[in-house]
Amino acid sequence: MKPFRFGINARDAGSRAEWQDKARRVEGLGYSALMVPDHLAAMLAPIPAAVSAAAATKSLRVGTNVLNNDFRHPVLVAREAATADLLSDGRFELGLGAGHMRSENDQAGLPFERGGVRLERLAEAVAIIKGLLGGAEVTFVGQHYRVTGHTIHPGPVQRPYPPIIIGGNGPRLLTRGGWGPRTSACGSCEKPPVRESKSSS
Amino acid sequence: MKPFRFGINARDARSRAEWQDKARKIEALGYSTLMVPDHLWPVLAPIPALVSAAAATTTLRVGTNVINNDLRHPVVLAREAATVDLLTDGRLELGLGAGYVRSEYDQAGLRFDRGGVRVERLAESLTIVKELLRGAEVNFAGQHYRVAGHKIHPLPIQRPHPPIMIGGNGPRLLTLAAKEADTVNFTGITFARGGTEHDMSAWKVPAIDERMRLVREAAGERFDSLELSAQIQRVIATDNRRQTAEELVKTWPQLTAEEILESPYVLIGTLDEMVEALHARRERWGLSYFVTFDPLLEALAPIVARLAGK
Repeated sequence: MKPFRFGINARDAGSRAEWQDKARRVEGLGYSALMVPDHLAAMLAPIPAAVSAAAATKSLRVGTNVLNNDFRHPVLVAREAATADLLSDGRFELGLGAGHMRSENDQAGLPFERGGVRLERLAEAVAIIKGLLGGAEVTFVGQHYRVTGHTIHPGPVQRPYPPIIIGGNGPRLLTRGGWGPRTSACGSCEKPPVRESKSSS
Repeated sequence: MKPFRFGINARDARSRAEWQDKARKIEALGYSTLMVPDHLWPVLAPIPALVSAAAATTTLRVGTNVINNDLRHPVVLAREAATVDLLTDGRLELGLGAGYVRSEYDQAGLRFDRGGVRVERLAESLTIVKELLRGAEVNFAGQHYRVAGHKIHPLPIQRPHPPIMIGGNGPRLLTLAAKEADTVNFTGITFARGGTEHDMSAWKVPAIDERMRLVREAAGERFDSLELSAQIQRVIATDNRRQTAEELVKTWPQLTAEEILESPYVLIGTLDEMVEALHARRERWGLSYFVTFDPLLEALAPIVARLAGK
């Protein structure tokens, strides 16, 4: 049985001081993690906000809950996650989701595909991200992404990679096995399992 | 004439402590900015690296040199820039470029369009990013992006937006920079054939004069408010400039020793000679901001000590 832990989804602040005070308060109250969502709405951008929260605290874990996979290329997500983990001394948790708000895609001029396609794309992204964070040279040919001989450096502090949180509510997202070839290949190695959180972003 | 300032392109660290020590050192030596490039190479990712560098320092400005426009959607970029500016108490300088290394595109499975298309896309992106940072509700229908009724919040601290630097060497990019940027960074080198061939011809004085004419013309009335910067490739303290330049011809066979010494992209000589050279470059071309790479941060430091803010 896993010990309880608690996290706060924090979204906004009027200044650096206010944001960092909030992070210190979240830490002071015993929360495990401060996480930042990723919406095209009135809130902070998650990666810089997570790094700033880590800079103001000592042991609080910081993360994304969740990055909308459709907003960033997985190679970029892996690179930013590795740097965020390195520069937070290994306190980063990478939350990923398939995206669910059509209005956001519409505003940014991005196609909003049906759920199955977004999920398939997320699965491919997770495979690429895990491979890159794990230190592999990734070559991947999918329906949505094509990566050729790419590696990232510096890698994350947490090995093989920072915990990955997949958030959602739909049965396909929660039940999908495998999360890509690298995950399914991982049954016998020490990679942490994908954490499937039932809380919706 | 703008006061001198200096920046360091910092790329790597093995730990948070090492990265933040580097940032503190750059600040203590009198540099104005720490900048992070954006490559799919063994370098840190710029956005988180900037926030961390700012957290370890008090007045150092932090920037990107430069974001590859093709790696991020402009709406996402504007949001991230606003957050970085807010969470660094208004210390962001946003450097943008069109992307030039084909191998990066190939690795990430992105289409590498010809230069004209990449610059056109950067121009569209720049319009969207600036308007969003300003606080406008953006409606934009371009060839490459379509934004419908989007605005961002929180906004950056620096109004109307953090300074925007556009770096490059080609005439199309420099024209765009002259029209839209706050700082025009002359990188000096054209990376032809997807970044695999270095064309050094723009280091020659007539080529620099020509680029300055182009920028002045494109900038029109805003020219006087533009900051012009040059990216320095070598800082070599020596009592014998001539001999050092002759040795560098082996590295850059497209140039003569004389052309190397006259170029604003190197600093060679005694401290007094280097200080004098920077004064001469500011007089002649208006270059007042000089950027170099982190292995040279100690070498440039005595010059920074003499000239920063003057």
